[in-house]
Amino acid sequence: MNGEFIAFLILSFTAILGGILMLNLKKVVHMLLSVVLTFVSLAGIYVLLSAEFVAVVQILIYSGAVTIILAFGIMLTKHTARDERTSNRLRAALVGVGVLVFFFTVYGAIDNLFFGPGAEGLHVENTQQIGERIFAHYVIPFELVSIVLLVALMGAIVLARKEGEENK
Amino acid sequence: MEWMMELLKSPPGLSNLSTFLILTLPVLSIVLGFVTYAILAERKVLGYMQLRYGPNRTGGRFGLLQTVADVLKLLIKEDTRPKEADRPLFILAPVIAFVPSFMVLAVIPYTESVMFANIGVGLLYFIAISGLTTVGMLTAGWASNNKYALMGGMRSAAQMISYEIPLLMALVGVVLFAGSLNLVEIVEQQQYIPYILLQPIGFIIFFIAATAELNRTPFDLPEAESELIAGYHVEYSGFRFAFFMLAEYVYLFAMSALITVLYLGGWNPIIGLGFIPDLVWFGIKFSILVFVFMWVRATLPRIRPDQLMEFGWKVLLPVAMLNIFLSAILKEIFF
Repeated sequence: MNGEFIAFLILSFTAILGGILMLNLKKVVHMLLSVVLTFVSLAGIYVLLSAEFVAVVQILIYSGAVTIILAFGIMLTKHTARDERTSNRLRAALVGVGVLVFFFTVYGAIDNLFFGPGAEGLHVENTQQIGERIFAHYVIPFELVSIVLLVALMGAIVLARKEGEENK
Repeated sequence: MEWMMELLKSPPGLSNLSTFLILTLPVLSIVLGFVTYAILAERKVLGYMQLRYGPNRTGGRFGLLQTVADVLKLLIKEDTRPKEADRPLFILAPVIAFVPSFMVLAVIPYTESVMFANIGVGLLYFIAISGLTTVGMLTAGWASNNKYALMGGMRSAAQMISYEIPLLMALVGVVLFAGSLNLVEIVEQQQYIPYILLQPIGFIIFFIAATAELNRTPFDLPEAESELIAGYHVEYSGFRFAFFMLAEYVYLFAMSALITVLYLGGWNPIIGLGFIPDLVWFGIKFSILVFVFMWVRATLPRIRPDQLMEFGWKVLLPVAMLNIFLSAILKEIFF
């Protein structure tokens, strides 16, 4: 058991903990913070996989920007909202069975999986390599993604405009 | 600190973990010392600029022990907590706000030998981690269950995301010239010409956006005393309040150090004055920046929230984009 494994255990534990907390907490803001915990732990796992660039972008975009947009959404609507849940024994049991079946299926599928020897030199100038790949090999997909984002942005503006006019 | 670089590559273990923990102690004490005297210096500078003396009673003529006394007062103060506050989040918020401010110090290269983590994406790491503090402020504002606190938290979040974009855009110019996100390489590239000369527009944008990120006057809307009492930390007292203050000044330290590294050439001496040690050069540049931050605070009035947003999106962002464009042309033609 080496240090990397211990770090992986801790990080994956906190990532799963964040997910479970998010599903079980009652206040919306608490849920938001548990999602942040998951995002940060995932960034830690990326660092373990020597993908620092992805890790940093994960924190910058998800823990920073997305969380704050979510927070604004919460606070502009009902910021004291609570989740009211009804419990149903039968449904819980069915879901439990489903989870077990899913676990054993996936476990059976990945138990003997062999990925081949791990890639070497992953940590060597990987930011530069990402840049070269994106702007040399994947230029057109990259530009397409930016157009999709632009369409989404314009769509959001159009939707927001309409609502404002109706209010008048 | 060659041995440190080797230590960073060695396999993790309990002994290494404790070594790292012990290594953080001198950094923490240096930062605490800086914060203590930065607060005093700020009060002195503000005082003299407003034609008064500033602290001059505690600890001799210059008030050298004033901050120590203030911190002692904060620590022995009663820790009040509003009855209707969200207890776990109220306790967690100062931690979320402070921890990132200390984490960013790890990547800053002070000199060629005094640095802690030389990671490839150091620049982005700094920006990304410092964004986490906003979550802490927002949490503090929400958990206090106070309208003023909530408004302060919201304002701080809005301000931070609006000014983070021009901040990053201004950095693109530096990255274009240096060809790296690694802070050490960026400094080494500036051996002859510091980037403030190649990137004057970028430097000004970065400085303005950094002032906004630090929540300092003229952009201190999240804690505007006259309209929001004190913003997100209005319900905090005692050592929890001290943590928010500490985070703010640690960021002042980190941001000044980052600007020194990015635009003023870090530890590189002015040509011909190489006999002065690297650390002194870094210290001189760093201190000038800290002074300029204080100077700006003493000189400019606070702006209105709508002016803040308009300035960020309609002025800084287009100018930052123009700067990227100009930098690319400059780089293509001359380098």
